[in-house]
Amino acid sequence: MIGIHQRWATPRFSLPALALPCAAAFVPAPAAAHGVIGDRFFPATISTDDPFAADELALPTITSFDHETDIDFDYSKSIVRGFAIEVGIGHVDAKPPGEPRERGFGNLSISPSLEVYRNTKHEFIFTTGIELEVGGTGNRAVAERTSTFTPTIKFGKGLGDLPDSMKYLRPLAVTGTVGYSIPTAGNETKSIEWGGAIEYSLLYLQNNVRDQGFSNFVAHVTPVVEFSVSSRTRVGEGGTTGTINPGLIWSGQYVQLAAEAVVPVNKESGHGIGFIAQLHFYIDDIFPHSLGRPIFGGKK
Amino acid sequence: MRGPIVLAFLVITFGGAPVSAHAFLQHADPGAGATLRAPPARVALSFSEKLEPVFSGVVVTDAFGHNVEAGTVMIGGNAMMAPLLPLPPGSYRVTWHAVSVDTHRTEGAYSFRVKP
Repeated sequence: MIGIHQRWATPRFSLPALALPCAAAFVPAPAAAHGVIGDRFFPATISTDDPFAADELALPTITSFDHETDIDFDYSKSIVRGFAIEVGIGHVDAKPPGEPRERGFGNLSISPSLEVYRNTKHEFIFTTGIELEVGGTGNRAVAERTSTFTPTIKFGKGLGDLPDSMKYLRPLAVTGTVGYSIPTAGNETKSIEWGGAIEYSLLYLQNNVRDQGFSNFVAHVTPVVEFSVSSRTRVGEGGTTGTINPGLIWSGQYVQLAAEAVVPVNKESGHGIGFIAQLHFYIDDIFPHSLGRPIFGGKK
Repeated sequence: MRGPIVLAFLVITFGGAPVSAHAFLQHADPGAGATLRAPPARVALSFSEKLEPVFSGVVVTDAFGHNVEAGTVMIGGNAMMAPLLPLPPGSYRVTWHAVSVDTHRTEGAYSFRVKP
């Protein structure tokens, strides 16, 4: 479920404070499967949140676009099966043309997610969540002073249930997310944050449709197009901005590498083409008997 | 910033256990979508991880949904093999599920054909 967000990080967040109790809570429970539902494996999308509540670590996510470079960290921990809390921090380095350079850590974000519905036969998952950007926790130069709540719904759907006549479309899958961003300061504009991904799984093509003779490396590549959009709800305050991000995701057994171009959808969204890249760890696979399991519940 | 990250990784590392992961299908014989001139004697699948034999399995069915395995499915290490009855020409479906030794479950299905 880890993706980048429109939030910045904080230096106040203490990683040891999080990691120590998590590591200590080795309660036996089933390993939470990241991105697997039915025959389908969904890689973790990097520009938008995917709908899985799992044990994952994105370190780092590097984004360079429109005179700004961000380095983000996100860690998602499953509390019980299907429910996880993600925390994110990041560093911003911005140098708009004609303006002084500004850099520092952004606000802390905390994002609980709950998988509400899974249908393995139809490769479908529906998740709800809320993202809290904690205002004032980041550097004043780059972070908002007010907090923002964003209730969000997310879904994923694989097209593996298409008929034989459309079998080469079966490797396709889509994910989507829609959130309503509500700043706690009454004078700030609310917005709808929406996005998603269209992905074509070579692994699904190879294993479920037709053996293409791909090497093991190539079979784990997923071409993807993500889009991330923000639409202001008040007329005359910015309209819609966003980016379309085509790229590739390679999913290994324990880690995932991803890189995408960042293309603005309009002038207001930025100038030029940027990039985003991420190194992602599947904690549930790396530590299946300890940190990769939910803290509470389940049976071994 | 670097210090907390290093410490977190140390905690993760010392608290960890031997790694294993989802068992993804790496090779299938016959492969997905294959069209064969001669009927195969067995279906053989190999996976990226060692399997829990009790919780893993494969079923091969004909176009009418009837099982066509000739005997017990053999599962060992990271592979499973299903011996097949003599298959007449037609379409067949392979449906597998795999539980790796760390209890992660994966599953999949594909079809192959035997030519007349």
